[in-house]
Amino acid sequence: MSDVSDSLSRTPDEQKSYDYYAGIGLAVAGAILLTTSFMVRNPVPLTVRGAIVLFMAGGLAVTFGFLRVKNQQDYYGGMALVLLSLIAFVASNDLPGMRGFAFGPGTAPRLFAFTLGALSLIVAVMGLITPGPYVTKYKIRGVIFITGSILTFAATIRSLGLVIASFATIIICAAAAEDIRWKETLFWAALLTAFCSFLFPYGLNLPFQLWPRFY
Amino acid sequence: MYELLANLWMGFGVAATPTNVMLCMIGATVGTLIGVLPGIGSLATIAMLLPITFGLPPVGALIMLAGIYYGAQYGGSTTSILVNIPGESSSVVTMLDGHQMARQGRAGPALAIAAIGSFFAGCVATVLVAALGAPLTAMALLFGPAEYFSLMVLGLIFAVVLAKGSIIKALTMILAGLLMSMIGSDLETGAERMTWGIPELSDGIGFVVVGMGVFGFGEILRNLESTGTRDIIDSKITNLMPSLPDLKASAGAIGRGTIIGSALGILPGGGAIIAAFAAYTFEKRMSKTPHRFGRGAIEGVAAPEAANNAAAQTSFIPLLTLGIPPNPVMALMVGAMTIHGIVPGPQVMTKQPELFWGMIASMWIGNLALIVINLPLVGVWVRLLRVPYRHLFPMIVIFCCIGIYSVNNAPFDVTMTAIFGVIGYWLVKHDFEPAPMILGFVLGPLMEENLRRAMLIARGDATVFVTRPISAGLLAISLLMLVLSILPTLRAKREEVFTE
Repeated sequence: MSDVSDSLSRTPDEQKSYDYYAGIGLAVAGAILLTTSFMVRNPVPLTVRGAIVLFMAGGLAVTFGFLRVKNQQDYYGGMALVLLSLIAFVASNDLPGMRGFAFGPGTAPRLFAFTLGALSLIVAVMGLITPGPYVTKYKIRGVIFITGSILTFAATIRSLGLVIASFATIIICAAAAEDIRWKETLFWAALLTAFCSFLFPYGLNLPFQLWPRFY
Repeated sequence: MYELLANLWMGFGVAATPTNVMLCMIGATVGTLIGVLPGIGSLATIAMLLPITFGLPPVGALIMLAGIYYGAQYGGSTTSILVNIPGESSSVVTMLDGHQMARQGRAGPALAIAAIGSFFAGCVATVLVAALGAPLTAMALLFGPAEYFSLMVLGLIFAVVLAKGSIIKALTMILAGLLMSMIGSDLETGAERMTWGIPELSDGIGFVVVGMGVFGFGEILRNLESTGTRDIIDSKITNLMPSLPDLKASAGAIGRGTIIGSALGILPGGGAIIAAFAAYTFEKRMSKTPHRFGRGAIEGVAAPEAANNAAAQTSFIPLLTLGIPPNPVMALMVGAMTIHGIVPGPQVMTKQPELFWGMIASMWIGNLALIVINLPLVGVWVRLLRVPYRHLFPMIVIFCCIGIYSVNNAPFDVTMTAIFGVIGYWLVKHDFEPAPMILGFVLGPLMEENLRRAMLIARGDATVFVTRPISAGLLAISLLMLVLSILPTLRAKREEVFTE
């Protein structure tokens, strides 16, 4: 990503405030996981809980400036993957491990989770040592409308049928573009909907229900 | 030799039926149509078009998918030449000279030579796949679980070494993929693993869901960031045919590109991309007039195009003979095969010879289809490229949604894809390559199964992986690759290749 457009770059102050909130975010995520670890059937080993507490400390240390992040991409990327491995440890806690010399269902997940945790920790630590790029701004508008439209499709396809679901999806996701023109979009959405409602149920013989089901 | 010909003949018998030729043609056309759209690589294209093959018999479906794959590849090159945007990662190199040629009013010859180069490379690679298929399958039968496990380790390490960016980050991506593939029921005991009690997760997360989320929706989210203008060639494309000097200049380049591409394509992990880079660099070194490269040298289009098509083709070899997908696209092919009830691996060739050879023959037909369809349709592609992105992405989104939904008729899958879309965007923001993750995700269940079996057979003795010679050899190569790629001198070289 060499051509970061100006609208997505962050000033040093904004980078600092990103560190502040991202650190809190890591700590909160860790806290939620820690709480969850008390809700699984078998007690979670102390080492795992200790690792979660250390993880939270790693987040808070950034927030309060004890640690200075030099490469945001590596630090937060690595930390998120550490979190993933900790989640895997908690999630696979109730699964039996080795039985004699045979692998149990929990062996491989914990094996991979451990390796992932160790490697991601290295990535995160590197993010504290070697300078590198910061995390550019997210295009929140795109994320909201695109995911929103996909979720709309998931929510409506069963009950409202293909025609309404796809029309709504197209309209919502078109709003993700900053240069949206509503008249064009309505026309385009109608055309696409017609195309989809013909192609999938008739052209490809896939079982789609076109219109809402009335009971 | 005789057997090979007989097999190929049988393959053509399967692939050359009117229906299958039609399917191959349609696949190549639709694949190009979607592949031409900037920002949609072959992986997203295949994922999107997967549902259209559901209603077909297995052989037809795979032939169509192969057609889509080549079409998508070629569509990517068209985008690189006409717009200064790589249609997909393996055509980045084509962009260097191809777009310059287009600017000089030679878009026609550039497109034609790309097609001719791809066709020639495709023909050679098809024969290679056919010739190597049988011996490699025989070798695969010698493999026990320990060897399979080590081979997959080797494949993943290759994927890491050949991927661009940080090696350790690529390794973490692989492990994240492996870990996510563990979600769902355990194969041996049936125990629910890491599902958090969500019933929809007990079957695991579908590969199409992850692939389409990360590569389809993730790409869209990233593309929405750049509002940059596209540099489309406006002038009408006239005289498609390259002149005689053009053909002479590119003949050698196509030949060399084909050899490099075929060799690198067999290696697991991002073969097509590295092949294109290697062929271009090699051609530039070989050339008596290296200064012309980057300014519209036709060899600079011919060599990488031949190489990436050859590699695209030979990457089927590990999949069809060993059942191991060497790159994410092939991983998607595994997903497609499983949907049709085919388990890729050495047994495909012995148990379903008509499928194996039919697919190989259809590769050749697919390449021919590309030439026949694409050159006359160049005008259509150009017009398609002028469609603004704000119209394109709603189309992609709705096709993806319908596509995922139709795999299992499950709205839950669609929801998961949205989540993976955001994850894909997040990964790009933090400079993680998603491709190794997908590869890990696909190989995960296979790896675990073989690991468990190997350990069980060896009665819990983990040294089995280094005491069996083939397995030890494979692991030694992986270790060597990893060490070499971390060494500072080679690392600098590697970066040089990717920045060139």
